[in-house]
Amino acid sequence: MKKLDIYLVGCGGQGILTIAELITRAAEAKGVNANFFPTKGMAQRGGFVKAELRLGPETVGPDIHAGGADLVIAMELSESLKALRYLKKGGDFVVYGYNWLPTDVMLGKADYPQVEDVKAAAAKIGAHTVYLDPGELPEGAADNIYLLAAAVKQSCLGELFSAEDIENAIVKRWPKGADRNQASFAAGLAAQGK
Amino acid sequence: MVKKNLSGNEAVAQAALAAGAKIICGYPGTPSSEVIGSIWQKDIPGVTVEWSTNEKVALEIAAAGAWAGQRTLCTMKMSGLNVAYDSLISVVYSGCTGGMVLYVCDDPGVAAGMPEQDVRGFAQMSDIPVLEPCSVQESYQMIKYAFELSEQVGGVVMVRSVTSVSQSHAIIDVPEEPPFSAREPQLIRDIHKYTKAGAKICMDQHADLLARLDAAQDIITRDKLNILELGQKDGLGIISVGVVNTYVKEALELAAAHGIKTGGYSWLQVKNSNPLPEHEIRQMLEHCSKVVVLEENEPYVERGVYLTAYQLGKLLPITGKLNEVLSKINSYDAVTVLKGITAALGVAMPAELAEPYTEAEALCAARPIGVCAGCPHRGVYIALNNAVKKLGYKKDDVMITGDIGCTILGMSPPFHTLWTEVAMGASVAMAQGFVHAGVKTPVFSTMGDSTFMHAGMPPLLNAVQQNVNMTAIIMDNGWTAMTGMQVNANTASEFQQNETKVRVDVERIIRGLGVEQLFICDPYDLPKLTETLVEAAKLPGVKVVLTRRECAIQAGRRKIKYGTMHVDTDKCINCKICINTTGCPALVWDGEKVFIDQAQCNGCGICTSICPKDAIVKEGK
Repeated sequence: MKKLDIYLVGCGGQGILTIAELITRAAEAKGVNANFFPTKGMAQRGGFVKAELRLGPETVGPDIHAGGADLVIAMELSESLKALRYLKKGGDFVVYGYNWLPTDVMLGKADYPQVEDVKAAAAKIGAHTVYLDPGELPEGAADNIYLLAAAVKQSCLGELFSAEDIENAIVKRWPKGADRNQASFAAGLAAQGK
Repeated sequence: MVKKNLSGNEAVAQAALAAGAKIICGYPGTPSSEVIGSIWQKDIPGVTVEWSTNEKVALEIAAAGAWAGQRTLCTMKMSGLNVAYDSLISVVYSGCTGGMVLYVCDDPGVAAGMPEQDVRGFAQMSDIPVLEPCSVQESYQMIKYAFELSEQVGGVVMVRSVTSVSQSHAIIDVPEEPPFSAREPQLIRDIHKYTKAGAKICMDQHADLLARLDAAQDIITRDKLNILELGQKDGLGIISVGVVNTYVKEALELAAAHGIKTGGYSWLQVKNSNPLPEHEIRQMLEHCSKVVVLEENEPYVERGVYLTAYQLGKLLPITGKLNEVLSKINSYDAVTVLKGITAALGVAMPAELAEPYTEAEALCAARPIGVCAGCPHRGVYIALNNAVKKLGYKKDDVMITGDIGCTILGMSPPFHTLWTEVAMGASVAMAQGFVHAGVKTPVFSTMGDSTFMHAGMPPLLNAVQQNVNMTAIIMDNGWTAMTGMQVNANTASEFQQNETKVRVDVERIIRGLGVEQLFICDPYDLPKLTETLVEAAKLPGVKVVLTRRECAIQAGRRKIKYGTMHVDTDKCINCKICINTTGCPALVWDGEKVFIDQAQCNGCGICTSICPKDAIVKEGK
């Protein structure tokens, strides 16, 4: 069975763990083995959150080693930098460039990385970067679903799952709000990563 | 078999129920909380599922249940076993008739905080078997096995998990089995077994305890729980323990991908670290010319391997922590395992794996942990800081001890209020120690309501009896919050497990401990709380300031808002004192003006009394 290691990062409340959970559900539906290890720690809303998702092998350790992930999915620009340690050389780096500013940054007392800094840091390990500009998120769309769709379309996630596999997992997860989620998903499929 | 998507902790709960556990109790603590958390509200007929007051209480309940012939499961994080150990050591000397399983989670890599300790040391001290699941699937299987083993030997069995296993979710096979038939409780009068009064009783129990451990070793060896695969004679022997078992194949693949020849290696997967699988270790030592031992935290298995090698008279090279190749610190992964293997083989680690790419994360903006928007604790930290100033002191003149849980976040910016964090309930006794040390300035302690229930009562009683000049602040938010919102005795009646449970008001307990000077304050009322703290600090003897307001997260889940805030832009001078003082995530500076993020703000109103220009206005309640 094909192996796929995914490292996900973001801030508490953004829905990054939901992305991992949806991929896990898609794996379950397809009979693909999955180990999903979220680390919430003391993260309230706004704290750093990460998840490690290892797909394929029957027995696999929960932690992805440095330089081992095939794919990084990040929902916050600055936090995306923390995931690069874990990305393989030449791996896929899918980033939604939302800026969740820590207080000191908001007050101008601390620096916050620019999009170019993040892209350059990823380029140093030959990453294939798919950057999604939050400004292009359609009005009312769920950003995490949008990002997940872009990942299945433009990264190695698509080698294990079709867009339909993921969409089915989303619809099954929330049968009620399906319309909004499907619209978000469609928008993500159409999004152009930069 | 049924496929189920479960976390490690959920698998433990399901396995315990399938094994017929009659009592499942414990105290919340990341990363162990979801065992009880996942079944607490399920109202399972004939089963008691309980959040106990503390781990020691939980362990005693589970032990008595097992003495009455029932199967019982007791759960806690590693720090909890420090609390429960006094009872554990006594209980294991007695043994049990029903199966008793103690499930404890260690936290290598410290995802949750507190010392990066290894609870297997307690198991060695108490001569009980320890099983170490490597996966969610094995968490299920080992709990069931542990109940069987416990009843076969008549003693307590520990299942030791770690954060990465207990918090992982996986799709596992759950066997469909007939339900466990209920047992009638039995009362056994046997003072020789169940009391400790007398040297003969205690030493006989000690002999019985050691016999039970030997019996467990025989059963485990017979059942081939530990997996030994012997490879080429005089080749490399790999001994891995618990979760590290799951990284060995990955590490060997990495080795192959980098052209490292591992030869016909032998591999022992250790699933029980106490008693050591000596039979398998001997076989491996006799077969191999060099050995690497891979285990997280303390080198318990590794020390055993040295000992067995000595007993065999085979002084082969052993790679691990004791020759300073691997670390006791942090969790392991495939690269750590490869590091051990390459060192044992005497070959270099592939450079790209030896040195991870860390340049990028250096650019990352710091994100200190803080308190949530509307958190009542915020009011306490700010009021304390204000009170220190009003009393005429500098911040560095006044000791304010902290405690476990969300209340410790007062150590963080922008508050920098708290100085210390030791153990559940320790803040009051620590404060007393500073007073006895001769500190002349006022001394305060801070503690949450669940921590107070857990271990805060004895030190407060002590302070009252000793008539210590100190002010203890008990921050009652109605929940055991940091571990994911569990109930405690003080939680409102409507949120207790069911209508038969009794709420015990923390105020009554404080008064019952003999506290004469009790002040009750709303932490959202900053001026009043500050004034109270100043007044309390000036009085002699023990003063308790009880601040009462429900956790903002829990109240928010029920859509409770205390009003609507807005910034009067005509009055606001963009000084940003509100943001700098409160650090409230609902106060936002967009580069031009301060505004309120209405999605986060619960209308607590703390910021209104911070603003020097009265520019933050509260509407409604």
